[in-house]
Amino acid sequence: MAADITLLFKASVKTVKTRNKAIGIGFDSTKEDILKRGRKKSGFSQKAKEVITNITKLKDFLLLHRKDYVSAGSLISSELSRMTDNERDQIDQDAQIFMRTCAEAIKQLRNEVEKQVMSAQVKEHRGAVLDLIEVYLKGVCKLYSEQRAIRVKRMFEQENQRLISEMNSLVDEVRQIEGKVVEISRLQEIFSEKVLQQETEIDSIHQLVVGATENVKEGNEDIREAIKNNAGFRVWILFFLVMCSFSLLFLDWYDS
Amino acid sequence: MAASVREKQAVALKRMLNFNTPPLKNTTTEPVWKVLIYDRFGQDIISPLLSVKELRDMGITLHLLLHSDRDPIPDVPTVYFIMPTEENIDRICQDLRNQLYESYYLNFISAISRSKLEDIASAALAANAVSQVTKVFDQYLNFITLEDDMFILCHQNKEVISYHAINRADIQDTDMESIMDSIVDSLFCFFVTLGAVPIIRCPRGNAAEMVAVKLDKKLRENLRDARNSLFTGDSLSAGQFSFQRPLFVLADRNVDLATPLHHTWTYQALIHDVLDFHLNRVTLEEGLGAELQTGARPKKKSRKMYDLTGADKFWQKHKGSPFPEVAESVQEELDSYRAQEDEVKRLKSIMGLEGEDEGAISMLSDNTAKLTSAVSSLPELLEKKRLIDLHTNVATAVLDHIKSRKLDVYFEFEEKLMGKSTLDKSLLDVISDPDAGMPEDKMRLFLIFYITAQQPPSELDFEQYKKALLDAGCDLSPLNYIRQWKAFTKIASTPANYGGSGVKPMGLFSRVMNTGSQFVMEGVKNLVLKQHNLPVTRILDNLMEMKSHPETDDYRYFDPKMRGSESSIPRNKNPFQEAIVFVVGGGNYIEYQNLVDYTKSKQGKKVIYGCSELFNAAQFIKQLSQLGQK
Repeated sequence: MAADITLLFKASVKTVKTRNKAIGIGFDSTKEDILKRGRKKSGFSQKAKEVITNITKLKDFLLLHRKDYVSAGSLISSELSRMTDNERDQIDQDAQIFMRTCAEAIKQLRNEVEKQVMSAQVKEHRGAVLDLIEVYLKGVCKLYSEQRAIRVKRMFEQENQRLISEMNSLVDEVRQIEGKVVEISRLQEIFSEKVLQQETEIDSIHQLVVGATENVKEGNEDIREAIKNNAGFRVWILFFLVMCSFSLLFLDWYDS
Repeated sequence: MAASVREKQAVALKRMLNFNTPPLKNTTTEPVWKVLIYDRFGQDIISPLLSVKELRDMGITLHLLLHSDRDPIPDVPTVYFIMPTEENIDRICQDLRNQLYESYYLNFISAISRSKLEDIASAALAANAVSQVTKVFDQYLNFITLEDDMFILCHQNKEVISYHAINRADIQDTDMESIMDSIVDSLFCFFVTLGAVPIIRCPRGNAAEMVAVKLDKKLRENLRDARNSLFTGDSLSAGQFSFQRPLFVLADRNVDLATPLHHTWTYQALIHDVLDFHLNRVTLEEGLGAELQTGARPKKKSRKMYDLTGADKFWQKHKGSPFPEVAESVQEELDSYRAQEDEVKRLKSIMGLEGEDEGAISMLSDNTAKLTSAVSSLPELLEKKRLIDLHTNVATAVLDHIKSRKLDVYFEFEEKLMGKSTLDKSLLDVISDPDAGMPEDKMRLFLIFYITAQQPPSELDFEQYKKALLDAGCDLSPLNYIRQWKAFTKIASTPANYGGSGVKPMGLFSRVMNTGSQFVMEGVKNLVLKQHNLPVTRILDNLMEMKSHPETDDYRYFDPKMRGSESSIPRNKNPFQEAIVFVVGGGNYIEYQNLVDYTKSKQGKKVIYGCSELFNAAQFIKQLSQLGQK
């Protein structure tokens, strides 16, 4: 276990101060200290810290919305936590833009470091600082990509589900049709049986009809003859009547 | 001690780098950049624990040595991790005056004294920078952890506390005091980091006893001051999962001088012995062959450095294995890697056929899954390849050394000497053999023989040996020192028994692997290590299990938590579950490996090994010759 002797150190500082006062050695007051502090804040470290705060903001943002994004909640999720796909796409886009800007910023800083003239140690240090920031950014990007992978997987799963249900309904329909077709074929069988039955009857009817046609034809002939005969008979009756009438008339004339 | 020492130290370092606040678990937090400034001590502590990538991940953009030219970098908080020595303090004051950075977080590796703190305060006042000094901490991390259960005290300036420094004849009391103080300071830091107050056991009458007395005093003082005690607070609550306190065994190097000279056969110890291995980093020079030829044609040598870390699974598994096993395992790893590579290639070709072959499309669906898994496992595969290459290179280098110096012969011989079994070749033969090993190897062998012999060899034999050694080109000064030492230890106690060990050669391996292998171990005997306990392990075993043994019975007993003076009667009758072994005067990987093996054989025990410095046999011989030249 390490021992924290900072307090001891501060006490030593006080001792030395009082000792120096006693001896009469004065040192510059501590006011200059505060002025001096601000002097060395270089542009690099400020920019680097900015990039880090930005990445942290991104990380917080992602973590905040992670639950909603992934919607890992129960089936009955409230309306508030449900995120539409549009919102998700929006988040994706924003995150990507953000990550790109951060990577750009890091690259810019690196170029600056290359160009600036400074001691080898400072250059190495700054290079390593940029490496650390890159690793951090990669870590946050991994968070994002994990989230996205879950979502995409979820999406594929949903699509899968949808396809499955579609397929299922198709299968049902097909089954129904199959049943109907089977019925139709059965009925058709019955029909054909009946038709075969009726064939014999129809044959006999056909025979009868043919016979009847013959008969009718003969009948027609007979009627024609009969009409002819009738007509001939009528002619003879007519002649007879006319003859009778003429004979009457003759007789009448003779008698006169 | 649920977390190992290494983890605890790494956590402490990470805390410090996070401005002494506990680091957050969330990975996407805003980066805060900082600069790390360390001195050589800090560098040695940090480098085995944190890699440069991990430092970068914690936001450290630059890491610089304190005493280098540093340019002002505006707007950057800086973390200093340094020892509170005079030059360092001066340099900090200079930095403050030059207004190099925006804010300063000063972390001292061990506690800083009040006067030095006032120096910094006055410099800060003079530079109007008091508000910039944001925090000052005493980190109490003044030790180097190399493995989960191994630590050393320092790497820089280790000559100051080396075996030579402690045992030389012309040492002054003041020197000894300062050496002891620095050792105790580091040990104190170790226990603060561990968060436990141990029970201390040490032998009588040597440097280890002095260390124990001082450490006990320091711990006692710290505990007595209940408000500022470093052992209260949440560090202790973690340690209270184990209800027992750990056992701290202090041993002196002089109890066992043969082990540092021993030739070894396990992977990690071999690397340390044969190659350049510091702080878990191996340095290989390519073009190795040129080194070992006497008429060297200077080939262009390129140096390659490899880090053997905790993340390397192969290393963690095999660092204690015998070398032939390692060679086989590398081959296995290579085969499995090739199989995986082929799998990926096959998938690639199948993917390539996608548009042409309808048959492939039907296989597509489950190949997609295989492809994703193959793609995601690609970085692993590459890493595996890198590690396999690393170990292949290292093992090849080690094998070259073994073959050229015939280290297996030496190993077998020494094992027999230490186990007091019969020798099938005489010592003289081995020493006079011109193409077995470097002069240093022969010296080591002879020293081990001398140390382990029950009676010293007769004058005639001794002259013969000396002549043979001189012919082989050895320097005889270590021998003088060892004779003195032997005489001294004979008076003091019985010579150390190295335990009954035996080595069974498994027969000659003409070819260990098939022709595809790179390791052709022709003529290298495959030796099997039988479990045997080195002296330090035996001492630990006796003390941990509360066994009675003439060697350890008169060890002193210290309990810093006990009120009043220490008593020599152990109060605790139960065996200890955790122990820390510390060797004053230096240690090496062979002892460490022996302790690891011992711990593995006992269930539920944890042992941590520490030493004041780590040396391999070559460095130890150098120290011995320095001592022998007096």
